[in-house]
Amino acid sequence: MSDIMLYAAIAVPLALAGAAILPAARALVLRLAVIAPLPALALALVAPPSALSEPWLIMGTVIGLDSVSRIFLAFSAILWAAAAATARRWMRGDGHATGFITCFLLAMTGNIGLILAQDAFSFYALFALMSFASFGLVVHARSDKAYRAGRLYIGFVVAGELALFAGLLLASREAGSPLLADLRMAELSGLSVALLIGGFAVKLGIMPLHFWLPPAHGAAPVPASAVLSGAMIKAGLFGMLSSLPLGLHAYPDHATVMLAAGLVTIFAAALIGVREESPKAVLGFSSVSQMGIIALGLGAGLMAPAAWTVLLPVVVFLAAHHALAKGALFLGAGMFGAVTGLRARILVMLALILPAAALAGLTATSGALGKEALKSALETGSADWLPWLIAALTLSGVATTLLMARFAHTLWKQAPGAPEMVRAQPDGLVVPFLGLVALSAILPATWPLIVPEIAFAVIADKTADPLPILVGIVIALAAIIRAHALGIGVQAFIQGITAPFLALRSHIDAASRRRARSLRRAAHRIPAMLSQRAESLRLGQTAIAALILAVIAVGMLEMRNVGAGSAAPMPELGIDMPQPWD
Amino acid sequence: MEFTLLPLAILFTSLGIVPLLFALPERSARLRTTINLTAAAIKVGLVAWLSWRVSQGTIYGVGFEVLPGLAFKLQADPLAILFIALSSILWLITTIYSVGYLEKGPHRARFFGFFSLCVAATVGIAMAGNLFTFLLFYELLTIATYPLVIHRGTAEALRAGRIYLIYTLAGGLVLLVGTLWLWVMAGSTDFAAGGMMADIAAASPVQALMLFVVLIAGLGVKAALVPFHAWLPIAMVAPAPVSALLHAVAVVKAGAFGIMRVVYEVFGIHVAVDLGVTLPLAIAAGITIIYGSLRALTQDDIKKRLAYSTVSQVSYITLGVALASPIAAIGALAHLIHQGLMKITMFMAAGNLAEGLGVKSVSAMNGVGRRMPGTMLAFTLAALAMIGLPPLAGFVSKWYLASGGLDAGQGWVIALLLASSLLNAAYFLPMLHRAWFVDADAGAGAQESARQRPIGWMLSAPPLVTAALVLIAGGLANAPFSPLEWTRFVVAIEYRE
Repeated sequence: MSDIMLYAAIAVPLALAGAAILPAARALVLRLAVIAPLPALALALVAPPSALSEPWLIMGTVIGLDSVSRIFLAFSAILWAAAAATARRWMRGDGHATGFITCFLLAMTGNIGLILAQDAFSFYALFALMSFASFGLVVHARSDKAYRAGRLYIGFVVAGELALFAGLLLASREAGSPLLADLRMAELSGLSVALLIGGFAVKLGIMPLHFWLPPAHGAAPVPASAVLSGAMIKAGLFGMLSSLPLGLHAYPDHATVMLAAGLVTIFAAALIGVREESPKAVLGFSSVSQMGIIALGLGAGLMAPAAWTVLLPVVVFLAAHHALAKGALFLGAGMFGAVTGLRARILVMLALILPAAALAGLTATSGALGKEALKSALETGSADWLPWLIAALTLSGVATTLLMARFAHTLWKQAPGAPEMVRAQPDGLVVPFLGLVALSAILPATWPLIVPEIAFAVIADKTADPLPILVGIVIALAAIIRAHALGIGVQAFIQGITAPFLALRSHIDAASRRRARSLRRAAHRIPAMLSQRAESLRLGQTAIAALILAVIAVGMLEMRNVGAGSAAPMPELGIDMPQPWD
Repeated sequence: MEFTLLPLAILFTSLGIVPLLFALPERSARLRTTINLTAAAIKVGLVAWLSWRVSQGTIYGVGFEVLPGLAFKLQADPLAILFIALSSILWLITTIYSVGYLEKGPHRARFFGFFSLCVAATVGIAMAGNLFTFLLFYELLTIATYPLVIHRGTAEALRAGRIYLIYTLAGGLVLLVGTLWLWVMAGSTDFAAGGMMADIAAASPVQALMLFVVLIAGLGVKAALVPFHAWLPIAMVAPAPVSALLHAVAVVKAGAFGIMRVVYEVFGIHVAVDLGVTLPLAIAAGITIIYGSLRALTQDDIKKRLAYSTVSQVSYITLGVALASPIAAIGALAHLIHQGLMKITMFMAAGNLAEGLGVKSVSAMNGVGRRMPGTMLAFTLAALAMIGLPPLAGFVSKWYLASGGLDAGQGWVIALLLASSLLNAAYFLPMLHRAWFVDADAGAGAQESARQRPIGWMLSAPPLVTAALVLIAGGLANAPFSPLEWTRFVVAIEYRE
């Protein structure tokens, strides 16, 4: 039974995507997309742990379910279902709806499948399927902005895939097996760990590999950005958890880079994020900032393997928490753009407070529990970094609150545009949006029920201090009041006040732009120059002529040698194969 | 040994119908198609039977001696089967495609006659039991493909044909010198698993070294190794099915296959390593891989871009052969099949775009995905396979090649393959982007792609079939009788001590 469920979880979305080839089935596919993630959800909720092996598929495939993948599968399937329900309304009447839903279902297949994959080949295949299919979601709008975001996105995807190819190849040779379980047990070399971390960090959006993330999440239509931000970036985390020997071997150098990147990411993403003018881009930067927190957990695990048993459940919890809250925020942004009238807008805004507060870590929300649990888990690890990490986690509350305030402000000023059909009838968006809000709000209560095997004790008795959030709110309010007092508007005020912090960034930006420009120029010039040279030199003809001359010259020299040498007896030639004419 | 004639029968299915096809009057198209398809189908059946027998341990061979030590010899060993299977399956598919493509075109009798001759030559090359026999069919291939390249008879086609002849005849001449030299030196030109040059190489390493260089240079012309590659992108003026067959099976593969025979079965891989020739060959292949991809980047003509991509991809085979590791050898041999499947798909798809929509350049590809979904689906699968995405065929060979690079202690191979994948992505992904995600009215080539005429199933189905094979060859790489499994069987024999 659970074998059939394992197959169905991958096959149902894939089959639906395939059905989009038939013109007659297209309308139905858009309507049925919402059921595509349900087999995966059922699998996550009821199936016993299992694994099944198909040795003839690719180069030996194993799929299965364990306690960590069960949680990733559960929240990913929920997000995909909510996004599909939204997409059903959002895409009605869209000229490119078929292309969108095909890419959407393929990305869903990849995302669900990679969570179930237990060997390097199928994992890599499904990870690539998800990443490449998502390109269609990013460029869906077919505007210049979307194409720019798409170019950036695909560039990072290709770079990440190449790093993963090399990383998985090296790691599976070192482990002597392509099974991910064996990779987790092996003492991998620093190079392969670095390649794996690099490849997955692209998807996770940890600075400095985050450049693709905010534009892509901003450019994609609302249902797609919900899954991009909620489910798909977690695939990067899942990849690290399922391929690195965390908890067995220490990698202090990698850990140092990871911790430093995490610390920078949390705050730099907030500083850059508040400057954005589009609410979805602000949310994108908030995702980057939140992934910085997860990077702290990963870094601590790489530093001190002994701490991993307590860190793992916290990291998984943080992933689930962020997925639900961020998904709710993206769908809420779409909902806000679709409704008309002040009353409805205020109601949506009020509903949005719940996931926003959870992200910021208000007392008793999932965010607070996650952060407190992370703090106490970090205490079991390395002492050197501890004060910094605790301080950063506390201050991250301020950073997230500011981002959420900025999100609310930009949302009010310029909500993301919703299609005409959705504006006329926004009711269809209510259920998925409120569903995610509710699931995010009750996560602290449901967590121990779903995953007793890795639910953790810390969840109950720690109470978070709401002070960082208060500080954040005060700063946000002060900024708004000051901006109004100066009469320059909030945007200009933020630009002015963050300018000193960002002088460094603009330097980096300018430098990297210059570098990119010169690289691009070289990339055009080298092939062009090669073509020109090759044609002007008649390289091939010259080479052929030289070859023939050389052969003639060698031949004339050899005539004598062969004549002299042929006096020696012919050697007996051993032939391995049975020759039928002998 | 009651079936000794089986290799001859397989050769005859292609060769025997050639006079018949030439003799048929131009207008009896239906009869010609029937003959072609029947022969191709019979051949696929015979090859299936042959592979089954060979997998059970039977080796077929026929031959007679021309001069002492110089025999005409056909032999169906596992390595030959690999190449024959590719050629017979793709011949069947390409024949269907050609019939659709040349519908009502001029000179069909001539075309199909030489087409069959060309396929017969590849079968001969595959089954050649010694370098002398190989050379005979190698030259036959040159002669048989020339009329196909110039089939259209335009000034451009004639020029391309001339350049093609200069290159390949020169290469053939060099190979002839090498073959004679080998015969004089070793008294035999036989292919044998493990090679036959051990004693000679030990006695006179310098001569053996020079012989190696001459043989590889002669073969390198057809395998399009830089700097002998220039004929290949020029020869793409040929009709689409010819380009498809040329790039997938016939000419470039003959060169690559010859390199494999020379390294493994004339010299023997251990002897070649001792001579110190494998690393330079691997580096030459590496340079070709990067150079071909760099040139492909700037080509706007679809077929020209594909042709430079072939220059790059075929050298994967040479690279894997030269790495002197069984794992890399598996990758190389599997790539012989995989590259054939991928590239034939792309050329047939490019032919469909030109026939159906008049789209011949990359800049005119905007929105073609919506207008020709099936063809572009096939093209997309093949392009993603070229980049090396699993579970497609290209991934399997790339994985084995990279793994073999590590096995041989040549870590740079991984960097080379990654750079090549990056370049593949850089010239294929923009095509896919234009086809699927840019609307048709935008872009420079709008006028070029304005016309549209329906294409029949004979054009639209073959690329889909080969694209499905690309998916199957990768997705079921571990299943019995997959290209990868057969390759493992071959390499086990070559590396047997």
